Amino acid sequence: MSRARAVFAVLLPGIGSAVAVTVYVILLLAVESQAAIAALLVAGVIVVLAAARFGGMARIGRSFAERENAMNLVIVLAVLAVTGFFYEDHFVLLLMATVIIYVIACLGLNLQFGYAGTLNFAGAAFFGVGCYTAAVLTKHTAMPHLLILVAGGVMAAVIGSLLILPVLRTRSHYSAVVTIAFALLFKIFLEVNDTLGGPQGLPVDGMNVLGWEFNDNIEIGEDFEVAFYVNYIVVGLIVLALAFTFVRRLERSWVGLNLDALRLDETAAACFGLNITRWKITAFTLGNFLTGVAGALYAMMLGFIAPTNFTFGDSLILVSIILLGGIGNPWGLVVATTILIILPEKLQVIQEYRFLLFGAMVILILLFRPEGLLPRPLRTYLPGWQPK
Amino acid sequence: MTAIRFRHVAVFAAALALGLASAAVDAKPKVKVGFIGPLSGGTSSNGIGGRNSADLAVRLRNADAKAKYEYELIVLDDECKPNIGVLAATKLGANKDVIAAATHYCSAVAITTVDVYHKFGLPIIVWGAVLPDITYGNNYKEVHRVNGTMINQNETAAKFMTGLGYKTWAIIHDTTDYGKGHNKYFSKFVTENGGKILGTFGVTSDQQDFSAELTKIKSLNPQVIYFGGLTPIGVRIRAQMEKLGLKAQLEGTSGIVSDTFLKGSGPLAEGVLAFREGAPTEKLPGGKFFLEQYNKQGYSDPPEAYGAFAFTAMTLILDTIEAVGPDRKKVRNALNNVRGANAADSITGKVDFDDNGQNTIAVITKYVAQDGKWTVWEDSEYAKGLRKLKGR
Amino acid sequence: MDVGLFGQYVMNGLMLGMMYALVAVGFTLFFGVLDIINFSHGDVLTVGAFTGLATYLGLSKIGITWAPAQVVIVLLVATTCMAALGAVIARYLVLPLKAAPALNTLLLTLMLGTVLHEAIRLFYPLGANPQRFPPLLPTTAYSFGNFTLRVDSVMLLLAGLAVIVGIHLVINKTKLGLAIRAVAQDEETAKTMGINFTLIVLVTFAIGSGLAAFAGILHGLYYSEINFAMGLLLGVIGFSSAIVGGLGNIYGAIIGGFLFAALQTIGVLAMPFASAYKDVFAFGVIILIMAWRPTGLISEKISERV
Repeated sequence: MSRARAVFAVLLPGIGSAVAVTVYVILLLAVESQAAIAALLVAGVIVVLAAARFGGMARIGRSFAERENAMNLVIVLAVLAVTGFFYEDHFVLLLMATVIIYVIACLGLNLQFGYAGTLNFAGAAFFGVGCYTAAVLTKHTAMPHLLILVAGGVMAAVIGSLLILPVLRTRSHYSAVVTIAFALLFKIFLEVNDTLGGPQGLPVDGMNVLGWEFNDNIEIGEDFEVAFYVNYIVVGLIVLALAFTFVRRLERSWVGLNLDALRLDETAAACFGLNITRWKITAFTLGNFLTGVAGALYAMMLGFIAPTNFTFGDSLILVSIILLGGIGNPWGLVVATTILIILPEKLQVIQEYRFLLFGAMVILILLFRPEGLLPRPLRTYLPGWQPK
Repeated sequence: MTAIRFRHVAVFAAALALGLASAAVDAKPKVKVGFIGPLSGGTSSNGIGGRNSADLAVRLRNADAKAKYEYELIVLDDECKPNIGVLAATKLGANKDVIAAATHYCSAVAITTVDVYHKFGLPIIVWGAVLPDITYGNNYKEVHRVNGTMINQNETAAKFMTGLGYKTWAIIHDTTDYGKGHNKYFSKFVTENGGKILGTFGVTSDQQDFSAELTKIKSLNPQVIYFGGLTPIGVRIRAQMEKLGLKAQLEGTSGIVSDTFLKGSGPLAEGVLAFREGAPTEKLPGGKFFLEQYNKQGYSDPPEAYGAFAFTAMTLILDTIEAVGPDRKKVRNALNNVRGANAADSITGKVDFDDNGQNTIAVITKYVAQDGKWTVWEDSEYAKGLRKLKGR
Repeated sequence: MDVGLFGQYVMNGLMLGMMYALVAVGFTLFFGVLDIINFSHGDVLTVGAFTGLATYLGLSKIGITWAPAQVVIVLLVATTCMAALGAVIARYLVLPLKAAPALNTLLLTLMLGTVLHEAIRLFYPLGANPQRFPPLLPTTAYSFGNFTLRVDSVMLLLAGLAVIVGIHLVINKTKLGLAIRAVAQDEETAKTMGINFTLIVLVTFAIGSGLAAFAGILHGLYYSEINFAMGLLLGVIGFSSAIVGGLGNIYGAIIGGFLFAALQTIGVLAMPFASAYKDVFAFGVIILIMAWRPTGLISEKISERV
């Protein structure tokens, strides 16, 4: 009995905050007037700052740290609740699905930047590989669409392996240039290559699993219609849950430990007998795989892709998300993606200025809070264990 | 205390009165209509001109006391990029309050978004894109177009140029569907008329340096360089032709009929030819009225070549909503009926849709850049023989 | 292929190479003194070109229309302004991050680049449109068969060469150059020798950014057109050139710049069926070179303390 109560006491701040955030997000997505949105944003910032000031954040953090599985479930429920609230609002659901897919892609980048410390400035390119794989496979083969998601990931990993040799041999700035060159090369290649649609881009078929057309609205009865993006949110959530669990497990396992050692000091790690090459390849390939899977899902949802989706600027946005969230912290990613995707769409005033503001924001973060919004917490030996 | 309370009551009453008063003025139900065009990027001047023209149509209607509804124009930017266009179209289509829309200057965007409009059942009128397949490549009842297609434009261009005595061409086109379409139709018509194409070069739409392509063209030595693409790279090609000493005549398409091309090329624009469907704005039946009203609103940018079409498209949408009410399906069907005896009058002349929702525009205007202005060929000093085109 | 055409290709390649080299030298200078990559360099170039254009428009307004005077004033204003901008960037954005991981500086400067070109797009009048850059140099052209040689192209090429030689002299023959080289070699020792580290960093950034402005004007004069996005590709190419040549080595940067232009031109010549692939080819070769020589052709001397 008392144990249950103790568990409850630990969970309470987490669940409470989840409910509060859910209500807040629903409000933010629902209101249209710019003044109301601005007011909500200011209120949100004040509440978060106040919570941080009075130790609320630490309590919430403890809920997440000690009861991670329960909290994951709570978050999934929260997303479903928001989805349910907006069941027929196409645009809001599209935004949510986009956030989910971007989080998956960033989880991949997080493996590279956050754990192994390999730089990858071609995130959007690998995302694009997934997209184009989906476009080609849906048009020309009868491959089951769920398998296409995997194929998108595999293709991104395979193309990424072309870069493995230069990435392995080079360090810091030099390896950055390899990926930057690849990001540019990829976009130019798509533009000049006629068989993949050139600058015009390619249409992609919607997802279809066992005869269930994802791109049709779900009609229940006469006039109850659910927007088709709900399909993608559900699939996205499942993929995200798998990816998230995988990344968390990886982080906590000896693999994660190896990657951390590698990032912190390559030479020292090598001295302790770690096979640098093997772990760099692992992180780079796994990361690209996740990014590619996200790309394939995105292409099927959007129904149309073009090279301009995958510019170097888009790669930079992905990296900004990682940095803003706090390098190496998957939860930070979720928060950062939500902010970076939803804010410019809701705050129409800043729409035109979004790149300018992104840029300025990242600069400020780097100058004044380089560890990001939610810095990666120290590794705990046992989940939930607290020094008494 | 009482004073304070009294003041509260007074403020409250005043607010109430104000609310009632504004409600009385706003008694008309509100209806939303959309506009999509390129508002940023290299073709933005055309997009902004179109936006202002559509906005003008809405403002005029809202100022009209007889109008049944009050209209709100929702403006979105497609950046002249297909993928951004799809997002913008989805945004409009998914918003059930939007009844109809005037959309797209860039063909590459329009050809990809028609599927979206069909999916959401949003009736649209294209105001600037010229690729034939936008209306003819599908059977969508939602899609209409008030401006003409590039077929007639290129036919006239080919006949006109061969008529002037030109024999050899090199073609540069951008590799979007827009540029490819121009290449296809122009090549067809020019060979039919006895012209010879020495080489065809596809370029990407944000290419900076064309010295490689132009150097090759130089060795081919054509009389005319035909350019099927939009203003930004048109400007670059014109400038770099000069650098490499190419003496050929430059012939463009409707994509470079913009003030930006003239400003961007400066004196180099002199003598460049281009073709566009429809009569020049000032010569349209309602052109004078349109330009007067446009200037009265004090927009900071000109309407550009397709502003009149955007105005026509939006006016037609508003007329239809006034007639059948704010309902997508009814508006769609009513627009499909604008044909034959039901053809609508507009500032660009009669709007008469065929089975594919394509308006019939017979007139193609030939332009030549003269003293920093797009001048109608027949009125120009070139036609009178006072100035000479190149390459002859 | 006939000689005239070949000459034309060589001329095109030299012109491109000059621009790339000028940008690459900036990258390499920054890397030398601070071991950082300043990715806003390409966009500083754009800002420089726009400053030049604005200056020209201003001059025309107040009635100065004599072309030689215009060229000189435009160049002076643009390089001075960008030199100042470079110093400001170094002082307030780059130096504060000196102790942070390299990734942070890289990202900061990348984002700064975004801010700079977005600011042009949004705040320069009609900044989203391509802007015409006036031909301020004599445009007389001489034709030799298929080869057209324009006086302005020759002047641009010579001016670029003069600037590169000038930089070489400053770095190798002056006290300032000595100080820059000292800081590049070892910051601590340089400080002990009484060199004002911060000052040298600021001066280096000023020189590099001034070079970028010069390259920007060159670009404007050569292409007769500038636009807000031109810095990105130029920046990346300049960076790749610097890297290929070996960061921190001025000659490496110059060689890298011309090598990249040569690759692009060869790409066109070797693959006449697919000239559009020239950039794909060039970047592909860059990646291969990186795999082959991970620290560039003329490699940086690495002595890492573990």
